[in-house]
Amino acid sequence: MLPTMTAITVTDLSKSFGAVRAVDQVSFTVEPGTVTAFLGPNGAGKTTTLRMILGLVTPTSGTALIGRTPYNRLANPITKVGAVLEATAFHPGLSARAHLEVLRTAAGLDPARVNLVLEQVDLTQAADRRIGGFSLGMRQRLAIASALLGDPEVLILDEPSNGLDPRGISWLRGFLRAHAHEGRAVLVSTHVLAEIERIANRALIISAGRLVRQAQLTPDSTDLEHLYMEATS
Amino acid sequence: MIRDRLVRAELVKARAGRTGPALAVIAPVTCALWAALQALVFDGLGELPAASRVENVYAMAQQAYVFTLILGVLAMTGEYRHQTITWTFLVTPVRSRVVTAKLVAWGLVGLAIACVSALATLASGAVLLAVRGLPMLTPGVPLVLLGAVLSTTAYALLGVGLGALIRNQVVALVVALLWFMYGDYVLSSVAPDLGRWLPTGAARALSGMHLQAGALLPAWAGGLLFAAYVAAVVLAARLVTLRRDVT
Repeated sequence: MLPTMTAITVTDLSKSFGAVRAVDQVSFTVEPGTVTAFLGPNGAGKTTTLRMILGLVTPTSGTALIGRTPYNRLANPITKVGAVLEATAFHPGLSARAHLEVLRTAAGLDPARVNLVLEQVDLTQAADRRIGGFSLGMRQRLAIASALLGDPEVLILDEPSNGLDPRGISWLRGFLRAHAHEGRAVLVSTHVLAEIERIANRALIISAGRLVRQAQLTPDSTDLEHLYMEATS
Repeated sequence: MIRDRLVRAELVKARAGRTGPALAVIAPVTCALWAALQALVFDGLGELPAASRVENVYAMAQQAYVFTLILGVLAMTGEYRHQTITWTFLVTPVRSRVVTAKLVAWGLVGLAIACVSALATLASGAVLLAVRGLPMLTPGVPLVLLGAVLSTTAYALLGVGLGALIRNQVVALVVALLWFMYGDYVLSSVAPDLGRWLPTGAARALSGMHLQAGALLPAWAGGLLFAAYVAAVVLAARLVTLRRDVT
């Protein structure tokens, strides 16, 4: 994928669970070189939208493309898109290294990637310990390491700061900012407005399944909380 | 040796986990004990010809089926239980490829466990038969062991298929164990003519187990029938559970 191409294109995406319209005609794009904040109350449809982009949930209608291709038709998707999702867990009996080694083998990546991403998220020391003994913050770092394994152009993160301590949150902020500066795209859902407004270039606000607001942000000067309250009231 | 990266990834899981290695020890021990028991009750089965009774001792190698069945079920349902299925499908969004890789990889693990179990059975049976002064081998024994290896391996495949169809680990395990440890046997004893057509009957035919009542299909037909059961379960999984949303 060329960095100049739109990273994610979501068009009229909808999902119904029985009678509940969880996501309703959502359209947006995510551009390379930007951090896009995906905001909204609990149950607004953020997670469902992200999972549809990643091919884990089948849309009732509409499309989601990575570049020009749906996720499910990418040749080796984790080399294009890295994902950190909520409710994603690990086999407690495996070590962090073994978990990454499974993904690396399945994607046919260079063996050196495992040590590289462990270092990137500062888990090298704990690499050979069983994940069952990991703290929430360590699991989150391992999830981020898994997302980085394929050196992807696009990062999709669902509540990535969950369980991270202040140092971890600061690290994540710097990391996402650097990722975007390299010309890559970041789409991140979060509730921590004060945190995300420091790095986001754009905000998408979703409420009751509908995209109610899209706004360009100027880091450190937009009042994101005001924008959010207005859009979701 | 194995080129397919998905199969290799499954084998990495098998090595890194603890269930596979544990079952690889428990299965041959169980088979050796069954073979010993069969050798001890040798005289009690007087209405069968001696050669059949010798072969029945070695047919105990197929008792490893319970463990390969469990292993297959755990391999598939563990992904849902630990929510690692999300990672698996993110790497490989074409879900049927995941199931195929699991069938191949856990079939290989099942084959390894089956071979070790057959060797344990052979050792245990031969020693006890020799100690009791009974005939140790018949010309049919190699085929019996081969059949046991095949049927034990086949149960690993059936386990993977069942796990794909029934994603809840506990439910899948209970269904698999009740069905293949009791269900088929009860049905076979109620309706002996039906027995040969059930998965258990097919597996027994494949493994060359001689029953005192109720004739079985020829081994090749049993093998084909069992393969058809595995294919049917995997097809049902693809049509029903495999395409469901992962939330």
